[in-house]
Amino acid sequence: MDLLTYTLRKLIGGIPLILGVTLISFVLMVHFGPDKTYELLSKNPTAEEIAQVRSQLGYDQPFWVRYGNYLGQLASFDFGYSDSTGERVASILSRTVPISLALLAPGFVLGNLLGIVLGLVAAWHRGRWIDKAIMGFAVVGMSISFLVVIIAFQIVFGVWLGWFPVRGWNVHDFSSYLHYVTVPTLASVFVALGYNTRFFRAVLVEEMGRDHVRTARAYGAGPVTILYRNVLRNALIPIITRIMFSIPLVVISGSLLIESYFGIPGVGKATFDAITSGDQPILKSVVGLTAVLFVLILIVNDILYRAVDPRVSLK
Amino acid sequence: MSALPTDLIGLEPAIGRSPVRRAAGRLLADRWAMLGLAIVLLFFVIALGVWAGLWGGNWMASAGQRWEGPSTRHWLGTTILGQDILERVLFSTRTAFEIGLIVALASSMLGALFGALSGYFAGTLIDSAVLWLTGVLDAIPFYLFVAALAFALKGNPWAMHIAMVATFWTTTARLVRGEVIKLKELEFVEAARAIGLHPLTIIHRHILPNTFHILLVQATIVFVAAIKSEVILSFLGLGVQDGVSWGLMIAESTTEVTAGHYMNFVAASSFLFVLVMGFNLFADGLQDALDPKRSGR
Repeated sequence: MDLLTYTLRKLIGGIPLILGVTLISFVLMVHFGPDKTYELLSKNPTAEEIAQVRSQLGYDQPFWVRYGNYLGQLASFDFGYSDSTGERVASILSRTVPISLALLAPGFVLGNLLGIVLGLVAAWHRGRWIDKAIMGFAVVGMSISFLVVIIAFQIVFGVWLGWFPVRGWNVHDFSSYLHYVTVPTLASVFVALGYNTRFFRAVLVEEMGRDHVRTARAYGAGPVTILYRNVLRNALIPIITRIMFSIPLVVISGSLLIESYFGIPGVGKATFDAITSGDQPILKSVVGLTAVLFVLILIVNDILYRAVDPRVSLK
Repeated sequence: MSALPTDLIGLEPAIGRSPVRRAAGRLLADRWAMLGLAIVLLFFVIALGVWAGLWGGNWMASAGQRWEGPSTRHWLGTTILGQDILERVLFSTRTAFEIGLIVALASSMLGALFGALSGYFAGTLIDSAVLWLTGVLDAIPFYLFVAALAFALKGNPWAMHIAMVATFWTTTARLVRGEVIKLKELEFVEAARAIGLHPLTIIHRHILPNTFHILLVQATIVFVAAIKSEVILSFLGLGVQDGVSWGLMIAESTTEVTAGHYMNFVAASSFLFVLVMGFNLFADGLQDALDPKRSGR
């Protein structure tokens, strides 16, 4: 009950954020986005035809009415039909989002897990050569552009070795899934690992410097016990925050680049195509749902804090 | 008797050195940071040379055959159009510095202004408004926002810069806000308030100069982020509109690498990598040197 009222209060508190995100993106779309009227018309349209298409697209309504309609759509999760293909936005999303999740999940999980492991190893051996080697690799990894990694991995695995396909997404069973997901996963792990390792090492080094850890060490507790019971548990809050807040960024920004380069029909590709073609219903749905996702993550994040650290109260 | 003055001279630096001097001393002693600085300066000289017209001016001309290998005429070979890759890579250094400097300066200024206002007036309406704005901008995924803004302002060569500044200033603002909340409780600010100075004067004269270390570190981080984003945006067709950049070179090289011509790709990505690496090393050293928690020397 306590949790429920807390969640509801937080949801209401998230409304200004959702309003802001939708308003800014809507202004961008309406005032600067391409005008689709003439794409949908035949040659030599009459004035009535133009007016009809404009009212069909909603261009004839005043700004605030259109923005109000958008909010109504967001509240009911019904965004109508795509301007370009006429397909329902809901069906486009239910087709593309699972592909993006399947594409990004392995890289996201592996990137964070490996980052934590490497961060632990580096923090445990702080100042020694193994720490310096890991941090050196992290700086190198941070300095390589995502784009360069994608192209280089495609050349190596797709062209030179010929092990994996370079483009497309022809997935029908688990082995074909592995076939298509490997190179994008390797690329995203490679890019994320440098940043993740540095962040996790910094958090863990701080925790390891605390008095209770020193005391536990002095009492002769083994490294596994110390790391698990004294260090990792206390470091969980910053770790959870980082992982949670990278979810929306990975889902949209990460998929946008990977999918447009690998030609994978996920939500990032659909969004990018919608930006370039001015397909407002798709953009409205993606931006609005991302803002909602962001607010939900804020809430889940707070609840996880509570689960990890009993001292945190949900006020 | 004669021992006394030398002792005093020997003691003087230890007592009289300012925090800035101590930080500079730590930075100078950091070998990796100095290597990073040397790399950045080398690239800056290259960029200055392009500005002065010493090299890189010939990036557009078809100076040779298509896909020539490295030779004495074309040190790094030529592109599909027979353009000299070295000239293009050098000119792109200037593009990278233009983007990095403009974006880093503008987002530092915006971040300092809004962060200081929001921190100084913490808990008031101004603070809530700034926090709301930064929260909103952070809730929009970066590439989606940049792509939308760059597309919205299409044809405008500044679209990419505006988009980057609009997203990058929020982190600076949040860091400055935190520092200002700490600073405004200190005695010197209280004294300034007590003698009746205008809040904006206090912020400008007494508070902002004390956030300089944050702004400096954050500016180097934004510089790197801007260069790296440029590459991805240019590849997506939303970046540099006129001229040439490493991103555009990598984008055009994607058709060449499948045909087995790697010079364009290797040249552009190596220049990009080395400069970003140099900046990262320097930013790390700077952060360590300016960290107030570090004592000694």
